[in-house]
Amino acid sequence: MSAEHEPRRGSWYLLTGLLIGLALGLLVAWVLAPVEYVDTAPASLRPDFKDQYRSMIASAYVVTGDLGRAQSRLSLLGDVDPVQTLTLQAQNALAAGDPDDSAYALAHMADALKQSPNEASLSPIPELIPSITQSPAGSANLTPTRRPAAALTLIYSPTPRPTRTPTPTVGAAFVLVSQEPVCDVNLSEGLLQVEIQDAARQPIPGVEIIISWEDGEEHIFTGLKPELGNGYADFVMKPNVGYSVQLASGSQFVTNLSAPFCQTDSGDSYFGGIRLLFQQP
Amino acid sequence: MSRWIKFFIVIALGLAAGLVYGWVINPVEYTNTTPVTLRADYRSDYVLMVAEVFHADQNVDQAARRLGILGSEPPAKIAAQSLDYARQANFPASDLALLQSLTAALQTWQPASGGALP
Repeated sequence: MSAEHEPRRGSWYLLTGLLIGLALGLLVAWVLAPVEYVDTAPASLRPDFKDQYRSMIASAYVVTGDLGRAQSRLSLLGDVDPVQTLTLQAQNALAAGDPDDSAYALAHMADALKQSPNEASLSPIPELIPSITQSPAGSANLTPTRRPAAALTLIYSPTPRPTRTPTPTVGAAFVLVSQEPVCDVNLSEGLLQVEIQDAARQPIPGVEIIISWEDGEEHIFTGLKPELGNGYADFVMKPNVGYSVQLASGSQFVTNLSAPFCQTDSGDSYFGGIRLLFQQP
Repeated sequence: MSRWIKFFIVIALGLAAGLVYGWVINPVEYTNTTPVTLRADYRSDYVLMVAEVFHADQNVDQAARRLGILGSEPPAKIAAQSLDYARQANFPASDLALLQSLTAALQTWQPASGGALP
């Protein structure tokens, strides 16, 4: 080997050594001793765990009626629009058959937040800005630089609890307080609109309504169209078919419902709808 | 300096660069974490929520299932740890009572009674 080849070979073995070292470093950092996060906040949870956490917040709210505490807890999840997130999760739960009985709690809390004057102040918490301290064991402590302490102060401070939000009386049967035909060309023909309210005249989401007719039955739920109200549900009736309506949780049985005949201003006839209002006594 | 010494020096430099990149610049993602990694105060607040619901429905099976997302330890131990934390953090007496009630119920609860853990 000639002497003029020596400098070039020197450069290559240095580069090779650098690459070997880099590979070893990444092997250690990513495989052998990756950063392990401890002390994380609810905002960093995986979406399905966030859903479970949110369900738990709503379930606790339903039994305690403490909206302030529920709001503090909800803010820890960092949802951009907590009301919409709760409503969507309630709808998803209903669509999935509500396996963990969380739909009512979620929708009820969304409804309470909508009516709460503090709802606007339920701002999402800022992004976590982690500062990582590497420990000798190869794990790292994630120290979020934001304000969980303030949020938790709200949770744990022994302030008097607010008045409980009225919740439907368990077992109290709903009664039909109004039934009226609706002639509106802007609505679907044969639209059966059902609205459910509690004793305080507040809409109740997640209520199951059983609609039956001669050869069929359909179950619908309130709150799936929150833009029309959390206590609202609807169903399209076929012309000349008699329907019966009852709430699954207990109500009077409303029978002989059928789409009424209506007329436009020009004299054309069409099928109108019916609006039912159920309330708890 | 001999070639071998230079070789090991650049390996060490590469190793350091790899560690900095893997631990600091682009570490393992910490989004999508599990409740197991929650900080003690958040864990305790989650357990408190379970205790609040348990106080109302007295469903110990459901409470145990709900605590299951906090780790593979027995639910009674998870509740007891949260109770200890709550005492240290001076939770209100009403919250301590709820946690005590849940812990006591879980200590006598048997998964075989129908409450299979997730």
